[in-house]
Amino acid sequence: MTTPDTATSASKARTWRYRVVPYLLIAPAIVYLAMFFAYPMYEGLVLAVYDDDALLPIRDEPNLGASEVSKIPQGTALAIVDRSSQEVVGDGSADALTDPWYEVTAEDPSGSPVSGWVSGARIRVRDEDATGAPVSGTVRPRLAATSDPLTDVHESPNDRSEVIGKLEQRAPVEINEVALLEVWFQVRPADDPAAAAGWAPSRFLQVFEDGERGRVHRGTDGEFTTAFIGRMIDDRFFGPAVRTTLLLMVLIIPAQFVLAMVMALVVHARTRLSTGFLYAFSLPIGMSDLAAGILFFSIFTGNGLLNSILDGLGIIDGPYAFLTADTVGWIIFAIVLAELWRATSIVMVILVAGLQAIPDETLEAAELFGASYFQRVRHIMLPLLRPSIQVALILRTILAFQVFAVVIALGGGDVVTVLANESYRQYFGLRNNNVASAYAVFILMLSMASAFFYLRAVRSEPETRPT
Amino acid sequence: MSLKTAPEDSAGPAAGAGLPTVLPPLDSPEVQKMHRRMRRRRGRGRLTAYITGTILTLWIAVPIFFVFSMAFTTQETVRSYPKNFLPFIAFSTDTMRFFLESDGVLQSLWNSMVVAGITLVLSTLISIPAGYAIARYLFRGRDLFRLAVLAVRAFPIVVLSIPLAVLYLRIGVFDSLYSLALMHTALALPTSILVVSSVFASVPYELEEAGKVFGATPFQSFRYIVVPLVLPGIAASGLFSFVLSWNEVFAAAILTINNRTLPALVLNSLANSPDAFQFAGGFFLMVPSIVFMFFIRRYLFNMWGQVTK
Repeated sequence: MTTPDTATSASKARTWRYRVVPYLLIAPAIVYLAMFFAYPMYEGLVLAVYDDDALLPIRDEPNLGASEVSKIPQGTALAIVDRSSQEVVGDGSADALTDPWYEVTAEDPSGSPVSGWVSGARIRVRDEDATGAPVSGTVRPRLAATSDPLTDVHESPNDRSEVIGKLEQRAPVEINEVALLEVWFQVRPADDPAAAAGWAPSRFLQVFEDGERGRVHRGTDGEFTTAFIGRMIDDRFFGPAVRTTLLLMVLIIPAQFVLAMVMALVVHARTRLSTGFLYAFSLPIGMSDLAAGILFFSIFTGNGLLNSILDGLGIIDGPYAFLTADTVGWIIFAIVLAELWRATSIVMVILVAGLQAIPDETLEAAELFGASYFQRVRHIMLPLLRPSIQVALILRTILAFQVFAVVIALGGGDVVTVLANESYRQYFGLRNNNVASAYAVFILMLSMASAFFYLRAVRSEPETRPT
Repeated sequence: MSLKTAPEDSAGPAAGAGLPTVLPPLDSPEVQKMHRRMRRRRGRGRLTAYITGTILTLWIAVPIFFVFSMAFTTQETVRSYPKNFLPFIAFSTDTMRFFLESDGVLQSLWNSMVVAGITLVLSTLISIPAGYAIARYLFRGRDLFRLAVLAVRAFPIVVLSIPLAVLYLRIGVFDSLYSLALMHTALALPTSILVVSSVFASVPYELEEAGKVFGATPFQSFRYIVVPLVLPGIAASGLFSFVLSWNEVFAAAILTINNRTLPALVLNSLANSPDAFQFAGGFFLMVPSIVFMFFIRRYLFNMWGQVTK
């Protein structure tokens, strides 16, 4: 017996199921795309316009807790006022200049025992244990007559800590413990002697030979900057890369659509070989532009297929070098062919799918009314294919911005260069993540702009589209 | 009903009903003349299709075949000029052996397999539930999700590998096959989701319902009715992910240094390796996609043919 009550609760359970289950099902995909699409995109934007190392704060005391005096931009020339050693907070960086400090036990000039920390510069190590750790030593003599002949013993490994004793020169000491301290420098901008001096750890500074001058190696505080975008635009490869990328698009995409349309019509002709043709034409879909580049390299290289054929036909007398810095036109031509070879298939598949959606009756009616084949293609198929063509255009244009390996395979990557290749060069060759990201963001922006352009161009169409 | 069911097959418009009866009878000489003309035209069209199709097939196949011949001959033949095709040159495994014995090649082949394998598994695992949800449930945001997936697929995700590399360096997983596979999964996922959803959509919901009518639990009807029907399609989408990862160059070159995959290795040795190495490398890059095309040819349009919205 089903009371209305249980029926409602059952249907409630059902609604709950239908409400929540689909979201649970798509959740992994959403999380994944957020992690590996949205987040890197955000991170890339940040890298392109945000300099992590822009500013170095200098402090009024040589420790990280002290208050900041001011921030000095990366690369500023510095005058060094003083130096000191400080216990390092965090890990010891490779760039850090370090001073050892020893915890010693010895007798002071009056003969009473004293133990505390002494700067490593004041101790000559005489004995080490098996692991190389210092065990004992003597206090170094001071050479300058003006300075205090006695050496300070500090309460903690830090020359600003309280002095708890003195040691005579050459006094023997026992070394109990070693502390490696990072050197801090008190600095001020070199060109502004009036500016307040402040302390900064050595790892962020570059100190010159004389020990009196230096510069800010990198900062710790970030700052928004257009410097990376500026460097990208000023880069000598930027102009050529933009020009070549656009030139390739202009050369490839129209030819590709004509070729893809011919392929699609051949497949659509429903001959006995249609499936075979479809398979053959779609072979390159899974192939990388690197493979296509190698294929066309084998054709265009000095002793390659093209030269062999031309030679065999008696058109040329010896191999002609197509892929050299002097024959940029030929390199571009080879790239265009390789891209036509590789990426036409995907346009073809989209167009074939579109053609299959056109009812046969429509075409037959046109034929009955005496429309020739070209008239049918021009006035019926192409207008009906418009949505497919738009999708293919967007996909193709965005793919065109990613052309990369084919350019390296056919042109080496210097003579002819494209945007994606510059991004790779900045990242790998020049180790410049920020400028590389600027390129990546630039490619993203161009892609978005072109997709937006195509979508807008479509929007005005639906009313005029024959259906 | 929040379930999406196939639209009911309404009685199609009565085709041809109500045509004026002034058409000439079918056996009249005018009509027969017209038929003859159309048939002749169609015959000519067929011939053109065969010829054009053959030329275009050669355009696709000749470069592949040429590189394959270069990959299976002696190194002297690769260096020689003028060049020739396989039946006319010495067949030998010399080039292939040279390639496989070169430093790092076997390792990179293995690396490529590991990365592509992980990509296959991950992208399939994530895309099955998402594809099922799109195909079977009507929920708020479904179109938005579909649109987002389509948009992501069209995006140059590859260039995101630079910020990803910086991130990987920061958290210490740079130059690892696993992190590269994570990137490749992100590349393959949008297409996988769309393919899997279209595969699920091609199995009528009525079949699942019929199972339930006969007392199967939702899981049972899924397991014993839907899974056998969708398995080939899902295998195709998995193969697609594999091949995509196998061929991916840019992210692989950015995200690895010592653990290079095959495309990254070939790309990096382009400038200073003999032609024989490149051609044999090209062979290994192309073989999986040729095999793959053969297996997935039925699903070609599921993968790239979806145009609507």
